Amino acid sequence: MKKKKLQIGSSLYIALAFVFMYLPIVMMMIFSFNDSKSLTVWSGFSTRWYEALLTNNDVAEAVYYTLVVAVLATVISTFVGTITAIGLSKSRKVLKEIVLNLNDLPMLNPDIVTAIGLMLLFSSIGTEKGFMTMLLAHIAFCIPYVILNVMPKLRDLDPNVAEAAMDLGATPWQALWKVIVPQITPGILSGALIAFTMSIDDFVISYFVTGNGVKNISILVYSMSKRINPTINALSTIIVVIVTLVLVGVNVAPILKEKFGEHKIVKNVVSSKPVKYALAACIALLAFVVYDNRPNQVSATSSSADCTTLKVFNTGEYIAEDTRQRFEEEFGVQVVYDLFASNEEMYTRLLGGESYDVLVPSDYMVERLIQEDYLMNIDWSLIPNSEGLIESLTYREYDPGMSYAVPYFWGNVGIIYDSTVVDPEDVESLGWDIFHETKYAGDVYLYDSERDMFMVALKALGYSMNTADEDELQEAYEWLLQAMNTMDPVLITDEVIDNMIAGLKHIAVVYSGDATYMMSENENLVYYEPQQGTNSWIDSMVIPADSKCPILAHEWINYMLEEEIAYNNTVYVGYSSPIQSVFEEVSTDEEEGYGGISAYISREGYAKDEMFHYNEAQRKQLSELWTLVKAQ
Amino acid sequence: MNTFRKLVYPYCVWIGIFIVIPMLMIVVYAFSQAGNDVTTLSFTLANFQKFFSPVFGSVFIKSIWIAIVTTVVCILLGYPLAYFIAQKSENVRNTMILLMTFPQWINMLIRTYSWIGILSEAGLINTILSYLGLPKVDLLYTDFAVILGMIYNFLPFMVLPIYTSLSKMDQSLVQASYDLGANKVQTFQKVIFPLSLPGVLSGITMVFLPAVSSFVIPKLLGGGQYMLIGSLIENQFITVGEWNFGSAISLVMTIIILISMYFLKKVDHEVVEEGGKKV
Repeated sequence: MKKKKLQIGSSLYIALAFVFMYLPIVMMMIFSFNDSKSLTVWSGFSTRWYEALLTNNDVAEAVYYTLVVAVLATVISTFVGTITAIGLSKSRKVLKEIVLNLNDLPMLNPDIVTAIGLMLLFSSIGTEKGFMTMLLAHIAFCIPYVILNVMPKLRDLDPNVAEAAMDLGATPWQALWKVIVPQITPGILSGALIAFTMSIDDFVISYFVTGNGVKNISILVYSMSKRINPTINALSTIIVVIVTLVLVGVNVAPILKEKFGEHKIVKNVVSSKPVKYALAACIALLAFVVYDNRPNQVSATSSSADCTTLKVFNTGEYIAEDTRQRFEEEFGVQVVYDLFASNEEMYTRLLGGESYDVLVPSDYMVERLIQEDYLMNIDWSLIPNSEGLIESLTYREYDPGMSYAVPYFWGNVGIIYDSTVVDPEDVESLGWDIFHETKYAGDVYLYDSERDMFMVALKALGYSMNTADEDELQEAYEWLLQAMNTMDPVLITDEVIDNMIAGLKHIAVVYSGDATYMMSENENLVYYEPQQGTNSWIDSMVIPADSKCPILAHEWINYMLEEEIAYNNTVYVGYSSPIQSVFEEVSTDEEEGYGGISAYISREGYAKDEMFHYNEAQRKQLSELWTLVKAQ
Repeated sequence: MNTFRKLVYPYCVWIGIFIVIPMLMIVVYAFSQAGNDVTTLSFTLANFQKFFSPVFGSVFIKSIWIAIVTTVVCILLGYPLAYFIAQKSENVRNTMILLMTFPQWINMLIRTYSWIGILSEAGLINTILSYLGLPKVDLLYTDFAVILGMIYNFLPFMVLPIYTSLSKMDQSLVQASYDLGANKVQTFQKVIFPLSLPGVLSGITMVFLPAVSSFVIPKLLGGGQYMLIGSLIENQFITVGEWNFGSAISLVMTIIILISMYFLKKVDHEVVEEGGKKV
């Protein structure tokens, strides 16, 4: 009786553990059928993300790179690892010890340390980051696992067997392939399996060593965090279903076999083989999907373009979904489209050896790139659509001669709040100081970016946001510390969009364009530009001096300014268009555009509003102080 | 036999390029200042001084604390789980281990992201609570969420090695213990647990290491203000561009981990030897 109770208890415990393990996966599968983009709020059943999966180039490319890298890394590391292990088993003790200890290093070291080591290596050699660097890095962290799995099998092997084979006339190679390898096959296979799994699931190392548009699934998910896209859920759901089917199939097959009495099941069928079959089936299916959507190779070039591949580096969700594809079709070229999370990240990635044809930095970063001679002069004769630009956006202080930068989107930074919870009078009277008002403690999001937060603090204190004065910055630092300590804020970046629409918290620092989109989704939200002044910014398209396709880059820029394209982009993204006619249309059209939404029309010409200027001394202080703010 | 020795040489070159040089570069960057260019470096200890200031010291302690809590909870949850699974019949056992490894096939970021949908203020848990008429709880962007995310991601790494050592155990030893008059608790204390200790130790390594350096889980579930040592390194490399300071932090972390691994290995050897003697 007691024993039975105990058994029920243990089964219950196991069941609970599996609920814990599978709950998020079930959630993920459910939300792949969500009608909206949200991964947290349910808004109806739809299969649109499965349809999107078939047409989405980014996902197909990511799957393609993930699999190709995983397969190549597995094959190469299994081969190298196996022969190395065989060699080691015959080597002198000293060499063996040294090699094995160094071999342990990538397994013991945190991923992030291995990652930055490799990144430093690649960027100091000056290799272009991308597919090769990612593959090399994957091979590097896979080999140790293969060796680890093969070595024990070799230890169990009778050393005289190979000897005997050679005595009987086998060449060393024959002895190797016909005698040694067959006996250590289980070790090789489990090593290969681990290598494959590690490679497929890797994020950290790939994130630091890749570039130039080469992303695996993990990096894609990470860079999509802005308005994360359920197509990834759809993809994962398909993988889950396939693996499950294969596992069930493989588990049922031997039972059937046993029933029909052919022969008894071999012991370990269940534990290792299904995994291998699952693997094979996954590869087969994904290979099909990938083949269907592989990065299309372009043969014919249109007359105006000087090359077939254009590399664009932009922030996430800053372009309409189909713009890139339309450009590709119209110009018969391929567009590699890479994402960065902040201007600073873009800059460090450029330093790390990535090269692009078009970048989309903000004003102060354009200024920095100009100062550092990084940019190419714009040939305005190739951009006839620039005639439509809003005049106040041209010839601005970061590029007074208008020689390098073409406006892409513009706006400012403000406060968004839920008017059903937050008293509008509080926001209007306090301005930025609302982030010191403890009445709203625990109900605020701050923006996780040093510049934006120091802008808020400096404006709240009545200083210029371009100050490099140490005392003023120190005061701003203390202002931020007080906000962090008394308001219990959450620092996020693009998640703010989803979370504010869902009403999780009720006050946030936001960019005007994000506010526009948020207000169109949730009518309780109100955008406010504090009287203390704010950052009024312009993001521009620029061409790096080392661009290999300057003419095609101009074509891209011109295309972005075309009325129809600019219209699609601004409506999809929510940021204000730099094209006069488009801006007017969207800001008045309440049906299709953003008419009636105040955030779309950012405040212009207010004396206390400023634009950031690049100042190395200020940048250094901001980084130092911001790291301190976050580390508290 | 000497023919086979040559097979090691290619990998020796590989180790030199892809393991030794990167490590050396981290060391060089850690002890130098200015720029992201090797040619303009100058020797300094400033990066380490900065790191051992109270503010960053507290980040460091917090990271280790979070990793320790995660590891301990993983042992407390994972050991019984491995033990119970090991008690089942072979077919059930294999299926369960399969189910345990299965989630690894789904991208880790996606699995972690789904927790947001469960923990957030409008998420699954709070929805259930409000149906029951209970007050909402703040779960997301807290220590709890970060530790939960880590336990979720790393629990299989604890369960699998413990399970392996439990299932490999010679059952006649357990039988012998009962025959000699030990009760269940005694048998567990004196026979089963000591024999499974190597599994526990490798579980500790496999959980503690990724937990102490993770930057994705704290970022997604803890928010940007949740600074752990992994996030600090990522921040220095990707956003701030202070590669030297970032390298110094990495170096300190590597050294601490290598030292603790050395001691853990020592304990492991002692356990094995003692176990050997007892048997």
